[in-house]
Amino acid sequence: MRTPTFGAMAVVVALVTTACSSGAGSPSPTQAPVTPAPGQSADASAPPATISGDIKVIMEQVPDTDVVAAMLADFNKAYPDVKVTIDGMTYDQMRDRIVSSFLTPQPTYDMIIVDNPWMYDFASGGFLEPLDERIAATEGYAYDDYAAPLRDIATVDGKIYGVPFYNYGLGLIYRKDLYQAAGLLPPTALDDLVAVATKLNTGGRTGLAMQPQKGYKIFEEWGNYLFAAGGSIQDADNKVALDSPEARRALQTYIDLYKSVAPANSLNWAFDEALRAVGSDQAAQMISYNWMLPTLNKPGGPGGDLAGQFALAPVPGGKAILGAWYWSIPSNSTQKDAAWAFISWLTSKEQDTQRVIAGGAPVRESVMTDPNVWAKGFGQDYYETAAKILANSAPLADGPNAEESINVVGDALNAAVAGQLSVDEAIKQAATNMQAVLDGQ
Amino acid sequence: MIGGRGDPTAGVPPPPSWSNRHPCHDHDPGHAPSGESRRRQPRGASVIRLVPRLGIRHVFLAPLLIVLGGIVAYPLLYSLWLSFTNFNIIKQDQTRLVGLDQYLGLAANETYVAGLVNTLVFVGLAVAIELVLGLALALALQRVLPGRGRNALRSFLLTPMFVTPIAVGLMFRFLLNQQLGLIPAILEPLGVRIDFFGTQLALFSIIAIDVWQWTPFMLLLLLAGLESLPPQPFEAAKVDGAGTWFTFRNVTLPLLRPVIAVAALIRGLDAFKVFEYVFAITRGGPGSATETLQYQVYRTGFSFFRLGEAAAMAFVLVVIVLLLIVPLYRRVGDR
Repeated sequence: MRTPTFGAMAVVVALVTTACSSGAGSPSPTQAPVTPAPGQSADASAPPATISGDIKVIMEQVPDTDVVAAMLADFNKAYPDVKVTIDGMTYDQMRDRIVSSFLTPQPTYDMIIVDNPWMYDFASGGFLEPLDERIAATEGYAYDDYAAPLRDIATVDGKIYGVPFYNYGLGLIYRKDLYQAAGLLPPTALDDLVAVATKLNTGGRTGLAMQPQKGYKIFEEWGNYLFAAGGSIQDADNKVALDSPEARRALQTYIDLYKSVAPANSLNWAFDEALRAVGSDQAAQMISYNWMLPTLNKPGGPGGDLAGQFALAPVPGGKAILGAWYWSIPSNSTQKDAAWAFISWLTSKEQDTQRVIAGGAPVRESVMTDPNVWAKGFGQDYYETAAKILANSAPLADGPNAEESINVVGDALNAAVAGQLSVDEAIKQAATNMQAVLDGQ
Repeated sequence: MIGGRGDPTAGVPPPPSWSNRHPCHDHDPGHAPSGESRRRQPRGASVIRLVPRLGIRHVFLAPLLIVLGGIVAYPLLYSLWLSFTNFNIIKQDQTRLVGLDQYLGLAANETYVAGLVNTLVFVGLAVAIELVLGLALALALQRVLPGRGRNALRSFLLTPMFVTPIAVGLMFRFLLNQQLGLIPAILEPLGVRIDFFGTQLALFSIIAIDVWQWTPFMLLLLLAGLESLPPQPFEAAKVDGAGTWFTFRNVTLPLLRPVIAVAALIRGLDAFKVFEYVFAITRGGPGSATETLQYQVYRTGFSFFRLGEAAAMAFVLVVIVLLLIVPLYRRVGDR
């Protein structure tokens, strides 16, 4: 039986391990990152309407993808010779495809979505095209129109590698009717949040839907508590500053709230469960992405009969965790000019206005202060609050290995909420592990 | 079968027109040309001359071996090599050999060790429960329902197998959700409140989901095994007045043992790959309660880009699988 035994074992081994191989077509690990192909225009200029090309775009399959797809016809009126194909997929699939495309001699994608934790690693690895010259050469583009925190994420070693496309700034989404009935105002400090959530925790409705899921989600929520407590994630020298009394207070408050006012048994909840709980009148409020507000207030949406009753406020303490998506051009793309034509058209003030009115998350300040957008979109309050959130926000991590450093902190926080670690142990573990990851250990 | 053990064609030159020759004629001594004609073969026919020397069975095996080499051996060896490097997808220019560092680092990695323990608990419990339930259902189906009814019920019971595991994970994430789920809503009026994904129960809830999805697989195999058992031993046991339990223990189980071993082997191998439920529901939490090796391999390799370390993680799992499975496979083979 020796032969079949090892034949079967070989298959087992392959099934287990092929997930770790970049496959036969992958280049040698020692191969240098792909550099721009000769003949590509490094000297950028405003994209002329006569430009031609065939670009493939990768996006997460979310409602915003449909908004962008619906704008293609207008784009082709301006650029008739640029053919755009959009590939929509799930988040994790998207990242895997993007990385694969970076490594192939014939890239699959010419225009990609870059999530903020990937930005530094992708840019410093040489996988993204610097956009400074193209931005400068595009007349009327107004890059300064994006909030400074959004621009900071896209800037790596002094160069711009992405154009903001979608914001994930967090805010407090609450029920106006419940606040009014109880005579409450949106909390402006951590203690206020505890008081408000406790007061609203009545009648079968919990005071606050939380998202303590291990990894990214809990850190994304708890980071707001940390800022409200006066703490910070990294100091001015980018050293991890989590091991602080403020962080301990923030975590203790988070755990106390989870135990007293959050839905029972919600330790694995992420933002979608919290959205459903708030939308179905089972929780009074949540800290979540600001654009959840129009989602909940939309008739026929997850807010059901409660649509119109939801409002947005900055998180307690004022400073929010910021997530964002960017449009970037892979450095191995052979269609950079055509890709920039589409990016610069799609993110121009004029088109961004249309995208935001159609339901896209706002990123340009001029769009968020435009009365036309207020009227046709989701109201003045929403856009003004969103602008305020973006102006005073910071990402979870900025620098090398950001994705992993976020996850190691989130793992420790979740273990503390689960009772596997004390607050002190969790904060120490989070700080030590995050620093080790940032140091590349 | 073409050729056989001690194939006499080895070293025998080919006939003048081998392509017209039926392969089964390999053994036909009448077709063996003389040593004289062998010397007269033109040089260009050297490849053809090689065919009988290797044995025609090897020639027919070649395409399969080439494909297996490309899709199994190459990725396997490449992954093994990666596990001895610090290979990072986005820092390829810094790649260097690090010897056993990746493997030694895993021993000190608490999350990895927790994942290893969880994976072994998951595989052991899930496969054992599926086996017992599958056998009970198979016996019930065989005894209670005849012909058509059995087939209809069998088809119905198999449906969980056809749902993709990621969808099963998402389905149970909401079905078991305390506030929004159907199952807690049914249990609540009965005074039962269970924290399915809390620290104590999360791993067992994941095991229960696996049992829901894969018990039908055990049922399928064991029922087929039961139906193929010879009737004589059962008739003899009946004539001798053996009771139901005695017959089951001393006749059914021993006869069914090879089928049980194969079913456990296949499910065991599959269970080691547990990923989707963890990915869709708990992401390894709470704390490290549902960390599994495959989820860590994915997270390390694809989310954190450290393919060298992920490859080492996977190879430790490969060694464990080999240590557990090879003896079982040998035992089945011996029978």
